[in-house]
Amino acid sequence: MQDDDLIKQAQAGDAQAFETLLERHYDTLFKFAFKWCGNREDAEDVAQQACIKLARGLEQFRFESSFSSWLYRLVINCAKDWQKSQTRHQHTTEQEIALVDTLHDEQPDKKILIQQLLNRLDSFSEGMKETVLLVHAEGFTHGEAATILGVKESTISWRIHEIRKQLQSMFGQEDL
Amino acid sequence: MTDDKLNDLLSDMDTPPIDKNAKKRAMNLAMAEFVQHKKEKNQQEEQQNSDTGTSENNQNSHQGFWFWVRPISNLLNASRKNLMMTLNNKLFYSGVATVSVAVMGTLLFQQTYKPSVDLSSTILHEQSVGLSEEIALQKRDDYQGQAIVIDKQEILTEAKSPAKPASPAPQSSIAIKENNLASTSIPSPSANEADAIISAPAPSIVLEDRSRLQSPALGASENKSDLVTTKSFAQEKAKAAKSLTPVEAEIAPDIIAQQTYQNEGRDRFESVEINPIKLVSEEPVSTFSIDVDTASYSFVRRQLNHGVLPQKDAVRIEEMINYFDYAYPLPESKSQPFKSSVVVHPSPWNPGKQLIHIGVKGYDIAPTQQPRSNLVLLLDVSGSMNSPDKLPLVKQSMSMLLNSLHPDDTIGIVVYAGAAGQVLEPTPVKEKQTILNALNRLNAGGSTAGGEGIKLAYQLAESNFDKTAVNRIILATDGDFNVGITNQEELKGFVERKREKGIFLSVLGFGQGNYNDHMMQKLAQNGNGIAAYIDSMSEAQKVLINEATSTLFPIAKDVKIQVEFNPNTVSEYRLIGYETRHLNREDFNNDAVDAGDIGAGHTVTAMYEITPKNSEAKPSIDPLRYSNNNEKEILEDKQASLRNEYGFLKIRYKLPNEDTSKLITKTINMEGELQNNKVDKEIQFATAVAGFSQLLKGGKYTGNYNYDNVINSAQASKGEDKFGYRTEFIQLVRKAKTAQAIR
Repeated sequence: MQDDDLIKQAQAGDAQAFETLLERHYDTLFKFAFKWCGNREDAEDVAQQACIKLARGLEQFRFESSFSSWLYRLVINCAKDWQKSQTRHQHTTEQEIALVDTLHDEQPDKKILIQQLLNRLDSFSEGMKETVLLVHAEGFTHGEAATILGVKESTISWRIHEIRKQLQSMFGQEDL
Repeated sequence: MTDDKLNDLLSDMDTPPIDKNAKKRAMNLAMAEFVQHKKEKNQQEEQQNSDTGTSENNQNSHQGFWFWVRPISNLLNASRKNLMMTLNNKLFYSGVATVSVAVMGTLLFQQTYKPSVDLSSTILHEQSVGLSEEIALQKRDDYQGQAIVIDKQEILTEAKSPAKPASPAPQSSIAIKENNLASTSIPSPSANEADAIISAPAPSIVLEDRSRLQSPALGASENKSDLVTTKSFAQEKAKAAKSLTPVEAEIAPDIIAQQTYQNEGRDRFESVEINPIKLVSEEPVSTFSIDVDTASYSFVRRQLNHGVLPQKDAVRIEEMINYFDYAYPLPESKSQPFKSSVVVHPSPWNPGKQLIHIGVKGYDIAPTQQPRSNLVLLLDVSGSMNSPDKLPLVKQSMSMLLNSLHPDDTIGIVVYAGAAGQVLEPTPVKEKQTILNALNRLNAGGSTAGGEGIKLAYQLAESNFDKTAVNRIILATDGDFNVGITNQEELKGFVERKREKGIFLSVLGFGQGNYNDHMMQKLAQNGNGIAAYIDSMSEAQKVLINEATSTLFPIAKDVKIQVEFNPNTVSEYRLIGYETRHLNREDFNNDAVDAGDIGAGHTVTAMYEITPKNSEAKPSIDPLRYSNNNEKEILEDKQASLRNEYGFLKIRYKLPNEDTSKLITKTINMEGELQNNKVDKEIQFATAVAGFSQLLKGGKYTGNYNYDNVINSAQASKGEDKFGYRTEFIQLVRKAKTAQAIR
């Protein structure tokens, strides 16, 4: 059955259809959440939040955009909420690195680099992190990213340009 | 940073496999939310249905009328309190509050209103306007507030024609109330999308916490379909818990929330003094048991990879040396299970001193001749194992082990946490999926009743005992036993008695922070098994696949080494490592005394550092002034040929199924044995490892020898290095050097 049919049924209150939808899309949710958070535990939390939000929010889906881009927006919102709640009891970067390190012992350098990059992206202004992740991690075009985030395509291009500039000044040119 | 680099870094970020339990948990929660939402929606609809029609007419003629009766002070307070208390659900409750004011207001209005007193009514009205403005301010965010503001004008008009409002009957005003309630609450989801979505997390966080506690129960159950119905979430869980199979139910209550042990320094190691230099004239005989464990090396590696030097007690020199496989000459036949080679060469850290290098190489069983294995995996699933480098790694390691077994070998699985339980009865390896399924079901949680687990595992191994097979228990744990038999001596004794029956015990250590090295060593030594420490998949690969035969099949047990030094040629000696394996001189010939075992293809290396007589090296121990030991006399007494020997090597061992020991003897000549170039390289590498280990232990006897010497010597001698272990070693030395520098 197509997603659209499932969504219509779920919006009408069919729990079975909703479960199938979840089953289908959880992996995408989790993977994107993982890219946002950089570690499994947090990613699972965010994905879980997203599923719960989906339960209430699904009926607001109006088929104006594609379902998957709508989902991306949902995860981004959840991830941001999660991040806000995290600032209250923030881990130290050291712990995070240790955690990442134990998870992927064979390539510690790269993991640390990714963690640093994610931390860096957090410090950028609103909208930057999701733009980078959608364009660079998920491989969307600027146009697609623009639809997902509900902004103009030129805004995305500008953000990407801006991020590149900022990263360059922060990480420097050496071996990156 | 270029786009390409960014692409490369981010798109390549390998997401871990999706955890089924997490997925199920998320889905269950979402389903519960969905059902809840549906219920709420239905209720609202019902309400709406019952309201529409009856109230529509009244709405227009009386809307807003009751607002100007609001200034009754106690009512205002009540509505304020309501507002404060229910900020979260303001859409719903503010409607209720407003309506309740309206009802009361209407009633009061009917009582107080007298058409003749026009003047008072205008005063009242003026007051009401002022106050309703205030209310409007309070509710600025609330669209109801706007309604109130708008209503003011209506009130003005209505106040001018006071005869008209006298008519409303109580019923109709209630209708207004209900209609209002409906009109405020029903449009909310669509009108305020954002609010509805954002308000969702608040209740769900509570749910999530609860689900964490019970999630294993949920995960274990295969209960999917029932969530669809409108039953409450709690009922659902109770049902899920009931549907567990008996074994799981036994474990489930103990499984508690995430506890990860992060703190360092709780790893427990036995503290043993490093072997001292001994005078040959006082103690000419040195006896020890061999040790083929490798746990120490992996643990040290892990610490160094984290940029810290390991605790000195964590370094066992012999285990560091024996981590590597050396190409010593192979024994010719199975009847003599191993061959020893002795090489003497100058000590790299003390000029003038000599190193006696004793290498033992075990006979390797060809895969076709391997006996059957009857294995029982004893897995620790206590709370302390809940960490990525513990239980998940255990599961992966065990599934790797399956690949190195024969189809007709059997595997049973026993787990222990707060209680011990059998997860899988002995199952042939050819039913691989059954075994993997059992492994994948495991979850971590609870305290650690290791003792009980061991008992159960032995029972299982005994029930399936096969005299011709290798009967072995493989214990995978972080060594934290805190329930049941916690007395080490008692546990040791238990393992020892079972060993005599022919069931061996090997120990695989996992994780750090809570690692009980001492306990694991004791168990493995008494259980005739190896103790290995698994810190990564590659180590699991080494122990369970590359060296599976030596891990699984013993070719000799209770192997003891005794060296008698020749006082004519050697003044001092020092055994490098084997501190924990020291035996008394008389233990050598006593077959009742337990010692280490050699598996198929194992290599064992022992090194003595000696100070030859009349060498340029200054003896570390001064000669005695009052001793009547005249060196020259001894020399004259002995035959000339003895001046050529440094000592005499004796090795005792038992074949795996025998109880009496056999003896191998060999003289240690000053030149050692002639070896080819390849063996020399091997020995040079072993010496580098020994040097490195001693440096990590504090470098008490290594003089000016430093990490750079180790690197150079290892680099020159690493040879073919098929699996890359030696290259890794050199990296470790570099890391140690850095860690030392920043300390």
